[in-house]
Amino acid sequence: MKYLLTGPIILFSRVILGGVFIFASLDKISNPEAFATAISNYHVMPFGLENLLALILPWLEFLAGVCIIAGIMVDGAVIMIIIMNMVFIIAISQALARGISIECGCFSVSSASEGDNIGLITVIRDIGYLILAFLVFYRQKYQFEFFPKSI
Amino acid sequence: MNIRIPILQAILLVLISILIGIGSNILSSKPLPWFAVELSVVEDVEIKSNEPILAAISIEQAKLFFDDEVLFVDARDEGYFEAGHIKGAMKNIFLYELIFNIEEKQNKNTPLVVYCGDPGCGDSEQLAYDLKDSGFTKLYVFKGGWLEWSKAGYPSEVGK
Repeated sequence: MKYLLTGPIILFSRVILGGVFIFASLDKISNPEAFATAISNYHVMPFGLENLLALILPWLEFLAGVCIIAGIMVDGAVIMIIIMNMVFIIAISQALARGISIECGCFSVSSASEGDNIGLITVIRDIGYLILAFLVFYRQKYQFEFFPKSI
Repeated sequence: MNIRIPILQAILLVLISILIGIGSNILSSKPLPWFAVELSVVEDVEIKSNEPILAAISIEQAKLFFDDEVLFVDARDEGYFEAGHIKGAMKNIFLYELIFNIEEKQNKNTPLVVYCGDPGCGDSEQLAYDLKDSGFTKLYVFKGGWLEWSKAGYPSEVGK
């Protein structure tokens, strides 16, 4: 267990999580309108808040991704990644439980890429990211972290 | 603020994201409205007018359109379509293929109705926005969808 929390697996997890979150944010940042529609299809947002979420969430994904790779506020970034992943898992699961077939809106929101519908595999993938994020959160060794300076 | 405290870092990241998100929308050439509004249901549809429109319609209006032989597009997945759909409705496989199929039948300024499973599904609205982006100008979303249509016992068919 100790090896898991100190070894290169932490750096590996940081790069994977950062890459995934940065990649996921780019299309949403350039298409907030399409992302807002994708959120609204989940039927979880009240009061038309999907638009505000569609404007802010992609930037949070992007920033968290950059920070966790660059070693800037890794703790804060990984907390946000854990929270976001949990929210995604809940949103997707409730949609699956209600039997609604919708596009994931996870990585790409443009209309050209159809067929990216949610399914059990989406939930399993997100649980995988969540496990990596917890490894980073409980890491015992602070390598390549620049701000705040690792002790 | 002690930047070593993880939760404060997380809050700082959220605050920066809010600032960038809201700021970029203010500066954007095509800003998103701050709050989403649902498509309003139009009564008394002027089918002959040339005004571009994207609006929701009731089942009564949908039936009138159906009787006028307006094209219906089913926004659901293939399996649902094959299990039962509005008579004569077009299947939605892939957006570009759908556009091609529609344009073989009619031009982009001819009215068409999009529907999906039930009032809670979002596929019809999403498809309507996609079609609008592709240049279609007269789009009606039948919110009641397959659920209301089949309940009312209106003409339908199964299969491909």
